[in-house]
Amino acid sequence: MPAAANSDLILLVREPIDAPALIQYVRAASDGAIVTFDGCVRNESRGHRTLYLDYEAYETMAIAKMSEIAGEIRAKFSIDRVAIAHRLGRLEIGETSVFIAVSAPHRPAAFEACRYAIDTLKRTVPIWKKEYFEDGAVWADGELPPAPQDTASSKRAS
Amino acid sequence: MGNSAPNIRVKVLFFGRLKEIAGRGEDLLDLTEGAPIETLFARCVAQQPELARYRTSLVASRNQEFAAWSTPLHSGDEVAFLPPVSGG
Repeated sequence: MPAAANSDLILLVREPIDAPALIQYVRAASDGAIVTFDGCVRNESRGHRTLYLDYEAYETMAIAKMSEIAGEIRAKFSIDRVAIAHRLGRLEIGETSVFIAVSAPHRPAAFEACRYAIDTLKRTVPIWKKEYFEDGAVWADGELPPAPQDTASSKRAS
Repeated sequence: MGNSAPNIRVKVLFFGRLKEIAGRGEDLLDLTEGAPIETLFARCVAQQPELARYRTSLVASRNQEFAAWSTPLHSGDEVAFLPPVSGG
């Protein structure tokens, strides 16, 4: 897995995400574009009015997986800097749960890398949200991350 | 059958709904050197049978990397059972 560069900013936070600071972080004189993704808490889920969300993470692995994503987009696209922040704990409607900023000399790479980063994050980073409604709470339907399959060589005789 | 006495200790972590079902976020379990993750999960099921029905809808990790169920375990390993992720 490509390693993230030291310049990548990867954060899990329990306070509101400081989006302007992340944008400023990726900005450089050699960049002609910064693309951002702001994931925010919606007020409904499949017809039910959402009151708030509560996020939890396997923190050490989540940081590792987010760093891998930064490394992957750096390997795939001609980008400059990457900042990825995810918030944990209770979030109210409209608040930002995840923010990604990618800078690049030219905009196509920044758009593609930002899209790739959020799509991959939602599939592979061990973070979970519980949705609270007026009549109860449920763990959100999620995606099962792709895991290595059992193979004959890794199988142990039993 | 490997029936040798347990000689390694591994840490197991539960998240999301699995944590609620297990009634705890982490545990320490003693196994035999080289036992696969599958065996560790079976041990957890023995303690909390309701976990069994989640076997096909979760993935395992060993030391913060996704891992196959046949992955052999060693002393000090950290294994997590991860329900479908829903970050973002």
